[in-house]
Amino acid sequence: MVNLTIDDNQVTAPKSSTIYEAAKLNGIKIPILCHDNKLKPFGACRMCLVEVEQMKGRQIPACTTPVTEGMIVRTATPDIVKARKMVLELLLLNHPIDCPVCDKAGDCDLQNLTYEYKVNANRFTDEKFHHKIDYNNPLIERDMNRCVLCGKCARICDEIVSFGALTFIDRGIETKIGCEFEDALNCEFCGSCVSVCPVGSLLARPFKFKARFWSLTKRKSVCGYCGTGCNLTLGIKDNKVLTTLYDENQGFHKGQLCVRGRFGYQFINSNKRLTAPMLRKEGRLTESTWEEALQIVADHLKGGNSVAALATPRLTNEELALFKKMMVENVGSKNFDHSAGYAHSALTEGFVRSFGTSASPASILDIQKSDLLLVIKTDAYETHPVIGFEINMGVKNRDIKLNILSDKRGKLSKLPGAKTLVHRPGSEVAILNAMAKSILDDKLVDASAASVPGFAELVKELAAFTPEAVAAQSGLKAADIKQLAGSYAAAEKALILFPIGQAYAGHNAELASAVANLAILTGKFDKEGCGVLCMAEKNNSQGAVDMGFYAQNGGMDGLRIIDACAAGAVKTLFIAGENPLISYPNHTKVKAALGAVECLIVADLFLTETAAMADVVLPACSFAEKEGTFTSTDRRVQHIEPAIRKSAQCKSDFEIFSALITKLGGTPPANPAAQFAEISAATPGYAGMSYLSLGSEGVFAPVAVTPALVLPKSAAVVAEEGSLSLVIGSVLYHSGTLSQYGEGPMHVCPEGYLEISRKDALLKNITDNDPVTVTSSAGSVKLKAKVTSRMPDGVVFAPYHFGAAPVNTIWSGAAVTMVTLAK
Amino acid sequence: MNPITPIINGMKITLKHMFMKPVTLQYPTERPKVAARFRGLHALNVSHDKAKCVACYLCPTVCPAKCITVEAGEDANHDKFAAVYEIDILRCIFCGYCVEACPVDAIRMTGEFELANYSRKDFVYSKDRLLEKK
Ligand code: SF4
Ligand code: SF4
Ligand code: SF4
Ligand code: SF4
Ligand code: SF4
Ligand code: FES
Repeated sequence: MVNLTIDDNQVTAPKSSTIYEAAKLNGIKIPILCHDNKLKPFGACRMCLVEVEQMKGRQIPACTTPVTEGMIVRTATPDIVKARKMVLELLLLNHPIDCPVCDKAGDCDLQNLTYEYKVNANRFTDEKFHHKIDYNNPLIERDMNRCVLCGKCARICDEIVSFGALTFIDRGIETKIGCEFEDALNCEFCGSCVSVCPVGSLLARPFKFKARFWSLTKRKSVCGYCGTGCNLTLGIKDNKVLTTLYDENQGFHKGQLCVRGRFGYQFINSNKRLTAPMLRKEGRLTESTWEEALQIVADHLKGGNSVAALATPRLTNEELALFKKMMVENVGSKNFDHSAGYAHSALTEGFVRSFGTSASPASILDIQKSDLLLVIKTDAYETHPVIGFEINMGVKNRDIKLNILSDKRGKLSKLPGAKTLVHRPGSEVAILNAMAKSILDDKLVDASAASVPGFAELVKELAAFTPEAVAAQSGLKAADIKQLAGSYAAAEKALILFPIGQAYAGHNAELASAVANLAILTGKFDKEGCGVLCMAEKNNSQGAVDMGFYAQNGGMDGLRIIDACAAGAVKTLFIAGENPLISYPNHTKVKAALGAVECLIVADLFLTETAAMADVVLPACSFAEKEGTFTSTDRRVQHIEPAIRKSAQCKSDFEIFSALITKLGGTPPANPAAQFAEISAATPGYAGMSYLSLGSEGVFAPVAVTPALVLPKSAAVVAEEGSLSLVIGSVLYHSGTLSQYGEGPMHVCPEGYLEISRKDALLKNITDNDPVTVTSSAGSVKLKAKVTSRMPDGVVFAPYHFGAAPVNTIWSGAAVTMVTLAK
Repeated sequence: MNPITPIINGMKITLKHMFMKPVTLQYPTERPKVAARFRGLHALNVSHDKAKCVACYLCPTVCPAKCITVEAGEDANHDKFAAVYEIDILRCIFCGYCVEACPVDAIRMTGEFELANYSRKDFVYSKDRLLEKK
């Protein structure tokens, strides 16, 4: 700590802080324009000028100057005020000052400072800028006429997002922020630049002109897309969510969001939302009343084990727990699951046998505390972009080493010093086993490992996985595998991350145990900056696991439920929010199965492809309209409250299940809070939690680890002559099938595609945007080609989110599918 | 005082007024002349054949009676304009704050005071009706 005097107050501040930070810490306000506490100090605007006595009263920027012992600082002498006024006058000189039509007005730093410093007139005159405004993309408008050249946009895009779309171009008075070759902006559209821009240069187009900042009601919530669990502030007017607002103090991510969180909110007030319950009468879905619909549902639920349920892990913990309770106690069926079953098996089988718990023994906060990150699949960035930002920052600011094991290259591979081993698709488990073998052979095993159950067996069983043998099958070099293992073992703290989800069938229990083995053998778990983070796909995937909403004690899992529907064993299928027709493997089979059940009940926000097949459709509520809790992938339990009123004819899933329980003769809990009290009493790690104790930042549910070493099975993928290996996955702009109803994501990524390497494209005479017919043993589908440099030869990639040309027509649940292409 | 004096004084005034210009207007055949600063029904100013209003939302913000509804739109040139501009004259208190707040001199108050009407919805003046008043 350092002692200094600011404006005659004796204050102390940490040694590493700047004058600005020291003042802020002690409640003294210094105006800033170009500084952001997430970014490195820059010192571009000179608004934060202060006088330091030791520097002979010279005016220096507070945001870049570190504090020193005994410093005497003055922040508001008449000279300083005069200097700041001058800064503003000069900024306003070329500024258009078109506040009436500028969307930033009311939330504009320049406007606020001008008002605060009473800059009513300008001593100087000059011409205004005439830069062309960039309207080329549907999400971000760039009007460089209003830019104050604070550089925040370029800095955040580089330092945190690591995309580098923006930079200063030209010199002197001509300086402006531009994209490469002064072209239109074409980036990943995370909107980070928009959120930090202090003026109206960068604007969110979906919100443009919709409302003024001051007329918005601001409500805190939690993002409803992926498992990162980012906190959101929703901007609401007239009971409509009009935008997401930036709050730099919110969440571990300090207000940073990805494209889905920032621009994907439109599904909440979409006019495609279901507005009334519907029943199938004479083959057509016709509007009905809740009373009639619920009675029919209740009657069909009285079928014991011939009733099955699938839920989306986007429901709240309370809803999932209540759904489970209804199925077990009131319906009398053990057949319920989420995410097709295999998508959560890494947690529910893999981690259970390897770590003795169904949660990750690491948190997102461990990323910054680690020395080395091992990421399985570059897709980790696309599935969880804000975790990706943490990785970017760790690698760039803290020199954390990044090793990636992936079947294709990706954005993470471009980080400085990142080492990507691109292997043949489907050989991850074998490679991880070979790494474990190499750690054993090179005597890098931690002393604690020998006493872990299963050690001796593992040593024996790993004999076949010599790096040389695995190298041959995976397309890597044995030396690389050994080096990867060596650097992982040598790092003092190392963290392994891998995404799971419905598109990642290969990221299953076997893979989870394979990575767990590495962590256990090297003793890298249960310690700060160490462990394994299994990145669960949806916003409450971890919660669904914690609530036990999956097949247990002989119940059928997701895929077996589909089979049983087709076979006639399941007569009533209740689907809450899932869209299996698009997101489960094997379209034809799922379609036949859904068609075969006697009564298909779907509760959803939209008439999804699955809901369109239903006999009863119930209009449900989005996260913005209900109360409950979500558990993020690192087991942070967060409370959400209704941000807007739900429409009269919609019921939350909680209300639907409650009403059904009553109809089935049970007593439902009074409200979500009562259900949460039951959850906290019964769920390991949730003990003592209540809505009050969760607060605005949420609380981590602790994870207790009992390690065990298990040999994961690895199946070799045999490439067929003349075929390409298709891997499916998630794209940055989408999450599950829900984001199809968000306008923002659909603006930038409206349809599925097939990513193919340059060489393969050349061989098959395919160019960008060519329609290609992709055929596998399961069927065929037409996709647009996208030729990229990141795909290895012989491998193609397709995202799985889209209902228009569903990829599951050619994919039946294998980690790798052999396909042929035809133009 | 002589009890007759006040009567005479009163009659004097009456007599005097018989030869003065009458104050009472024979409304509606006779019309009042309103002062220039009179605050009657609003009008939206026009320039280059377009409403000057840029839908800045300042008048609905400042309006103490909350009777102005503005919804902005984006035209083909990406410029802002008032897609909806409505004043609920039943709630308006004719304070003139909207005129004062307008940064582009888009709204003024006319001398029109005859605002009676038959149905409630006719008291909500849409953009078209406000533009008509020139
Ligand atoms: S950037 Fe700020 S000061 Fe400039 S026109 Fe917009 S609101 Fe006004
Ligand atoms: S939206 Fe994100 S990626 Fe695009 S320029 Fe802004 S910060 Fe960079
Ligand atoms: S566009 Fe905005 S954030 Fe970027 S330099 Fe200009 S004012 Fe700063
Ligand atoms: S990273 Fe996930 S939780 Fe965060 S904003 Fe993006 S989609 Fe939402
Ligand atoms: S203040 Fe003027 S420009 Fe702004 S909305 Fe009202 S009339 Fe239009
Ligand atoms: S805030 Fe310090 S120079 Fe801009």
